[in-house]
Amino acid sequence: MTTALILLLLAVGAYLVAVIEAWTTSGRWRLTAPITAGIALLGRESIVPRKSDRVFFEVAPVLLLISALIAATVLPLTPDLIITDLATGALFINAALVYVLVALLMAGWGPDGAYAMIGGWRFLGQLIAYAMLIVMPVTAVAMRAESLLTTQIVASQADLWNILYQPLGFVLFFVAAMALAFLPPFDLTTANSELAGGVEAEYSGVRLAVFRLGRLVLVITLATTTVVFYLGGWQGPWLPPWAWSAIKILAVTALMLLAGRALPRIREADLLNLCWKLGIPLALLNIFVVGLLILVWP
Amino acid sequence: MISVQLFFISFFGLAAVWFAVVVFRTHSMMRSALALLFSQTALGAMFIGMQAEFLGVLQIMMMATEMSIMAIFMVMFMMDPGGLGKMDMTHQKRLSVIAGLVAFVAVVVVAVFADWGPLASSVPDAAQQIEDLGLELLGRSMLIFETAGLTILTAMIAATAVAVEPIKRNRD
Repeated sequence: MTTALILLLLAVGAYLVAVIEAWTTSGRWRLTAPITAGIALLGRESIVPRKSDRVFFEVAPVLLLISALIAATVLPLTPDLIITDLATGALFINAALVYVLVALLMAGWGPDGAYAMIGGWRFLGQLIAYAMLIVMPVTAVAMRAESLLTTQIVASQADLWNILYQPLGFVLFFVAAMALAFLPPFDLTTANSELAGGVEAEYSGVRLAVFRLGRLVLVITLATTTVVFYLGGWQGPWLPPWAWSAIKILAVTALMLLAGRALPRIREADLLNLCWKLGIPLALLNIFVVGLLILVWP
Repeated sequence: MISVQLFFISFFGLAAVWFAVVVFRTHSMMRSALALLFSQTALGAMFIGMQAEFLGVLQIMMMATEMSIMAIFMVMFMMDPGGLGKMDMTHQKRLSVIAGLVAFVAVVVVAVFADWGPLASSVPDAAQQIEDLGLELLGRSMLIFETAGLTILTAMIAATAVAVEPIKRNRD
């Protein structure tokens, strides 16, 4: 029952992500746009390129969707609305989301196309850049909660949300999450203007629809993760828990989609430079500061 | 309960073996690398089946990155990465077969005849396991792990130093 409800909520969330994304690009609210776009995609022919690696080509969009869905299983929307409260929850999210990389590598290699291939390998470089900035801020979050249970992490923020307790960690995690979801300015792997869609370039029809759906679910999953780790999850005055979760998740989603809109796409080398020379020292500093804070003011 | 557990452990065990066989059967470097990944993922699932949740999740997470990075190196360095040329990239087959069989027999002998000590009657719950592991890493095993970490860090810095192009100092 819980599983079905959360899947339904994720579907609604993905739909809203599509609406918000259309708004950030076009400036107009078109509530039916995802439906018409979806129908258009499903109605089109789904072409399989010649000499493609058929297994990878077929598996990639599904794997992208599944990894985003599996990561969502350990995220609580209310104290009771969670599929499975794993003892390794915060680590499990990372484990599931690493398979986004595997899916994109498959999508890059599978169709035997130059643009797709470059897009796929680019994401590997992108992972080298952002991966540490996901794991290290999460370490600081787990330090405060003294647990990897996601419900425990939310409970640890009852007095003060982590966004205020460890703002540096929040900024690093937020940027890294945008890179994980390949949102602008980190959309190196799809890069419409230079790679003609990159990993998406050779997909069409129903396969592209699944791919895009996977990406939308990935965005909503990451927004939920941000809310659970930094914005106190379901906590808040007056409104019921589910409403707070919904408001926060949608706000974070909108922020994620808006943040990079005005920025030019970052170069691969610049991203690596920025993440390793600035991001990782800051993440270490964050762990150190949070460690001190926990000792003096738990 | 125990039979469900046994079923899953056997299932993922067979999956791990099957993907491991695929690693050598395919000509494509990319398929080979990702088959190895899924073999390792199946091992991670076996750990979870054996109630070692942290170990399993860690295995599933680490291997995805590692095998993907291995994939790009295989594609870069092998002559026929796509396997479309049907190039035979194996060599010393007889030696490999013998070495493989000897290693297999050795593993089976160790597994069957080693004294594994008394069976644990109960397993601490997953959260307790993580706590115990953390205390272990910062207690008795600290020196070993810190030494290993430092060694890996040294190797990383050395590898980077070897790989980067030397700065040309005398421009003029």
